[in-house]
Amino acid sequence: MSAGAHQMTTEGIVECWREIGVSGDRSCPELEKHLHCRNCPTHAQIARKLLDRPLPPGYRDEWTQHFAGRNEKAPEGEEIDSVLIFRIGEEWLGLPAAICREIAEPRPVHSLPHRRSEAVRGIVNVRGELLICVSLPALLGIGAVSSSRSTERIAVFPRLVVTGEETRHVAFEVDEVHGLHSYRAHERSPVPATVGRSAASVVETMIAWNSRAVGCLDAGRLLDLIDRSIA
Amino acid sequence: MLFLMFQLGRDRYVLDTGQVEAVLPLLATKQLPGAPRGVAGAISYRGRPVPVVDLALLALGRRAEPRLSTRIILLRYPSGPGKDDLLGLLVEQAVETIERDAADFTTSGVEAGMPPYLGPVASDERGLIQWVRGEALLTPEIRDILFRQQTAEL
Repeated sequence: MSAGAHQMTTEGIVECWREIGVSGDRSCPELEKHLHCRNCPTHAQIARKLLDRPLPPGYRDEWTQHFAGRNEKAPEGEEIDSVLIFRIGEEWLGLPAAICREIAEPRPVHSLPHRRSEAVRGIVNVRGELLICVSLPALLGIGAVSSSRSTERIAVFPRLVVTGEETRHVAFEVDEVHGLHSYRAHERSPVPATVGRSAASVVETMIAWNSRAVGCLDAGRLLDLIDRSIA
Repeated sequence: MLFLMFQLGRDRYVLDTGQVEAVLPLLATKQLPGAPRGVAGAISYRGRPVPVVDLALLALGRRAEPRLSTRIILLRYPSGPGKDDLLGLLVEQAVETIERDAADFTTSGVEAGMPPYLGPVASDERGLIQWVRGEALLTPEIRDILFRQQTAEL
């Protein structure tokens, strides 16, 4: 937040990981137990010491201004929603945070024999739990998961998103996950009529994010759609 | 149960996160002249004035040190029947949360003469942790003064 924060010193901090740890000569006796410095409580303790430094100049005033600012457009008590923003092909979509269970690295999808449905990709193993992996592009009728990456962005990582109700989890693959985004009710705008096919029935509302329009999915209708495709 | 940990001097204390509205960095406080001892002032949180109590001043008699780890915990404070107000707690070393069972906390054995906000204690490998009852932090008189002042400022 504060520009001053970047100029703060690290004086008085013993960088043991550079001397006897993984970036040093690895002579630290603790290494055998923790394997890597990042697992070591001493490392965590030193990291915490960074917060014991005095406030950088301007820090208090900057934060004071930040929190004093009233968001004029948002009346008190207005509903706040949060969605997980992810990308499939060229589409940015929002999954209600309430039904977002886990983001995992992509993993092999084992196909199911005798299933011809495009919507069901197969079975994935997420931490020992076997989940059905569905294809969101097929379900929503939007452009397929594509590998065409815009070149100006540095690195994007495909992810596996686990969603579903408390007891019934389902996974789907996405090209990229941005993260959680909170928005207020007044930021919602209606879904344009041009959003075609089955996507229109599942996209509940559009929100502006990063000068893009993100289609927020309706939790109930999405899970219904997934259920029907699995059955 | 999730608890938010902070320190008073060398000892560790926890607050029930269910009472916590937000954790803010150390903001500049506006002084409240004539406010009782322990009150650091008031801050503006999203345009709403919130009184801030310096716990180090209240409990140890010295101001909290201005460091990055010193933070303001915004507590939902029951100010009347069915009504909550916000109270800021200026505490040091608010850098950790812990997951503990409420049943882990037992009476400390020295109840008499202790400030009413200090609750039962639990132990871990680093020693004892004491539960701070947020709702008992202010005496009724201070509470009246603080929240009356806040209404007047509005």
